[in-house]
Amino acid sequence: MKKHSLKARRGLGLLATAALVLTAAGCAPAAEDITETATDTGDGTTTQAEVVLEFAQWWEPELPDGSFRALMDEFESQNPGIKVELLSGPYSTTKEQLFAGAASGTMADVVGLDGAWVNDFAKTGSLADMTKLMEATSYDQGQLASQIQIQGSTYMIPIVNFVYPLYTNDDLLASAGVTSPPTNRTEFRAAAKAVSGAGVHGWALPLSLEAPNGIQNDVMSWVWASGGSMLKDGQPDVTNSDVSDAVEFIKNIWDDGSIAPGSFTMKEQDKLEEFTNGRAAMIVSSLSHINVIRDSNPELNFSVSAMPAVDGYTGKRGIPYASWGIGVAENSEHKAEAWKLISFLMSESTNAKLSSIANAFPGNTTASPDFVQGDELFGEAFEIYQSGFPANEFVGLPVAEQLMRLFDEQFQLYLDDDISLNDMLKVAQESWVDKF
Amino acid sequence: MQALTPYGFVAPVTVLILILTFIPIAIVIGYSTLDNVIMTPESKFVGLSNYFTILTDGTFYVAARNSFVFTVGSVGAHFVLGITFASLLNSRLLPGFVKTIFRAIFILPWLFTVAIIAILWRMLLNPNGVINYFLVSSGVVDVGVEWLSSRGTALLAVTFINIWAGYPFFMVTLLAGLQGISRDLYEAASIDGAKPWQQFRHITLPQLRPIIISMVILDMIWTSQQFALIWLTTGGGPFDATEMLPTYTYKLAFSNYEFGLASASAVIILLLSMVLAFFYIRHQKARD
Amino acid sequence: MAKTRRAIDRASRVWVIVGLALGATFAGFPVVWMISSSFKKNSEIFAYPPSLLTDGFSADAYLSILTDPEKLRFFANSYLVALSVTALTLVVAVLAAYAFSRYEFAGRKSLNLIILSVQAVPPITLLIPFFSLIVTLRLYNTYQGLILTYMVFTLPYAIIMMTAYFNTLSKELDEAAKIDGANPLKILTRVILPISVPAMVSVGTYTFMIAWNEYLFALTLTRTTDMRTVPIGIQLLMGQMSYEWNEMMAMSVLGAIPILLLFLFFQRYFIGGLTAGGIKN
Repeated sequence: MKKHSLKARRGLGLLATAALVLTAAGCAPAAEDITETATDTGDGTTTQAEVVLEFAQWWEPELPDGSFRALMDEFESQNPGIKVELLSGPYSTTKEQLFAGAASGTMADVVGLDGAWVNDFAKTGSLADMTKLMEATSYDQGQLASQIQIQGSTYMIPIVNFVYPLYTNDDLLASAGVTSPPTNRTEFRAAAKAVSGAGVHGWALPLSLEAPNGIQNDVMSWVWASGGSMLKDGQPDVTNSDVSDAVEFIKNIWDDGSIAPGSFTMKEQDKLEEFTNGRAAMIVSSLSHINVIRDSNPELNFSVSAMPAVDGYTGKRGIPYASWGIGVAENSEHKAEAWKLISFLMSESTNAKLSSIANAFPGNTTASPDFVQGDELFGEAFEIYQSGFPANEFVGLPVAEQLMRLFDEQFQLYLDDDISLNDMLKVAQESWVDKF
Repeated sequence: MQALTPYGFVAPVTVLILILTFIPIAIVIGYSTLDNVIMTPESKFVGLSNYFTILTDGTFYVAARNSFVFTVGSVGAHFVLGITFASLLNSRLLPGFVKTIFRAIFILPWLFTVAIIAILWRMLLNPNGVINYFLVSSGVVDVGVEWLSSRGTALLAVTFINIWAGYPFFMVTLLAGLQGISRDLYEAASIDGAKPWQQFRHITLPQLRPIIISMVILDMIWTSQQFALIWLTTGGGPFDATEMLPTYTYKLAFSNYEFGLASASAVIILLLSMVLAFFYIRHQKARD
Repeated sequence: MAKTRRAIDRASRVWVIVGLALGATFAGFPVVWMISSSFKKNSEIFAYPPSLLTDGFSADAYLSILTDPEKLRFFANSYLVALSVTALTLVVAVLAAYAFSRYEFAGRKSLNLIILSVQAVPPITLLIPFFSLIVTLRLYNTYQGLILTYMVFTLPYAIIMMTAYFNTLSKELDEAAKIDGANPLKILTRVILPISVPAMVSVGTYTFMIAWNEYLFALTLTRTTDMRTVPIGIQLLMGQMSYEWNEMMAMSVLGAIPILLLFLFFQRYFIGGLTAGGIKN
């Protein structure tokens, strides 16, 4: 008994000491850190007044180690007196973090944005009107490939764009007697059916409700590729024949049994693994995946091509894309400096560099990323990009992500045969109209 | 002076809770009566209309039903597994080092952050994952089951994952509780000829009762708020198969940007949980 | 008689071992799979048929984490926060639980109800108001902010469990000490606590796990990379378009090992007899 309680007391003492030491040790440096960020000039010698720009984004962790910071260093050396502090977080919760920042007025000066949220952030009044910033500096807006405007004011500028071509596993297709990637819907369905069997499926279709962007990249892309639209005069129009044909087309492939299992919880990252492992012969996927696939399965023989269109379609094809967009916080005290950073990132040479490290296409029309010259697949993709037009009707819509989710829910019911095509589109249309 | 002693003991926790939870909860209650809160600087007072909207929304009831199934299933299984494992680990029949090894194995699910648990189980339950591989190669099923992505099995699958992730909490607590039961009780009972099961029913369970009741209530509150696990595995789907109150609330807030409605939904959940808390207090009272 | 007793023991020992083995498979297999995945190449993780060991076996994922000072900092932050939360929670909870268990005072029941029900608001909805509060209190991006936040999460459980545990201890212990002239604090620290170590270890384990694994608030309440914790580090490996599966797994395995060791160190307090002896006195 005595020995035990002695032991017990030692355990307690240990804990208590740990508590004291840790709280003492833990609090002191933290307090220092705060003051440091406010006054530290980086090299610790100069004391001149200096602007520290906070730049919240999810890009730094996505890019090769140190490469994004290197661009910031370049900016700092060109703009003495401005420092950039990169606040990097994971993509999946970036939106929540931005909202918390917007609600409490602590949003970073410059923020990374996704086209699916920009409308809602603009509505809260937490984003600055960049049209004014551009006018104030007489910025040449012609060099910007696109600007996301809400009621005539620019709130987001896409810095780089990830296009979504069709990836095909050429060995799988060849073994099923398909010699070249499908160019129209009939060929696509036939190819998907031909390769399916023995653990292989023709197509992987991610329809997760957590990240419902499959509706944008893998479903609506069929509509856009054939020149169709899901909107009419900026209002929802998902009951039109463009959308209804595309949805029915996908349902046919589903009924053929050519779609990889697990669709309803599949995300973009899972789709990639299905393709890399040779279980899905075709996917619609981000250009940036070319290098990921090459790294993890060097033997995979694949190519990229334009999204198949409806049979006989000869017009320009819309190519779905996702952007890394950038905006300025309304509560920023350094909007002019923030704009300097953005114009630096959009400048021809920086934009080309950023595009190259991100394997994306530049947001500056004159920038030419070097990776498209030296690489066959990227070169191919660039050609597809230039012969078509970037299409993503969800960008800039209100509650865009929720629109995708609402459509997704009905689409899942339709694929499960619980609802007819017309009812599905009608319900989706009504729920969308509700949000506009 | 003596009358003040208990207040001294509870002062730290009271201050902390008053500041760090009362204020935010009060703000949420305030939000729940406003229209377009956060989204616009000037939001209108709309009284109870947000509550009305929530309570007339069919999805809310689907979410409540799923939450109920998920919670009762999880807590029940947590308890059964927790008490079983704790009793086995407490067995006198095994040498100490064997028990140490098993103790370490049994708490493994507790060591991981929920994002990883979700990812891990998505891998395991994938149509081409290892669990389906075993099922297919042993002939139980012909083709891999889409555990998480078919409406028939999704709720079962997320409940199962949550059971795996949460039982160590019961086990560790009960293991500690078992140490407090005097050996004399068991010795006396076994002299009276009581079988192990009878000893368990008439000594172990009654002795652990206060701990079990507290834990069941706490676990019910926590499980009914489980968000990340469901969100990261199924996103509430397919369709609405795993939609629960927290995912429903989350979508209102961060997908529809209806923070007023989301707050109303949160307050309703708070009220529901307070019913549970009342039961706990009543039980406390009965003990006194 | 003695012989049959031994026979029964042997039979029950078999059952106990069978039960433990089944349970261990249930608990351990997913973790074995996680460890196996952490040594695979990314492409092998989703190969079919799956296998435990692959040609691409390598410890690269571990190396890349252990050689990255930024990630090591995540680990240091997590330890600092989780250990502080555990220690402070135990102190605060033990004090409150002692009052709840041993004193009858006005407001006791309502305080109990409040403590229990404040945790009933889904944390995700508290995120924005809570964040604003932390900014106002100037605790944004500090360890203190995180520590206090986690204490709010862990205290209700800790108090309730410690109260329940204290209730199982005989009040005669206190009475005896009181007669000897000890003050309440002394009774608590000298009489009650030494026999409450198993309960404190289990509450402490729980507290540590919560603080170690929490993600959402850790992300929201910190701003700079040098303040981030392990769960955020893991999430940072989940990219917008592709995941670093093996590194994610390796990082969680690395995170789990020290906690497991800590648990193994403290678990000796679970071993029977310790408290039973105390109660008998």
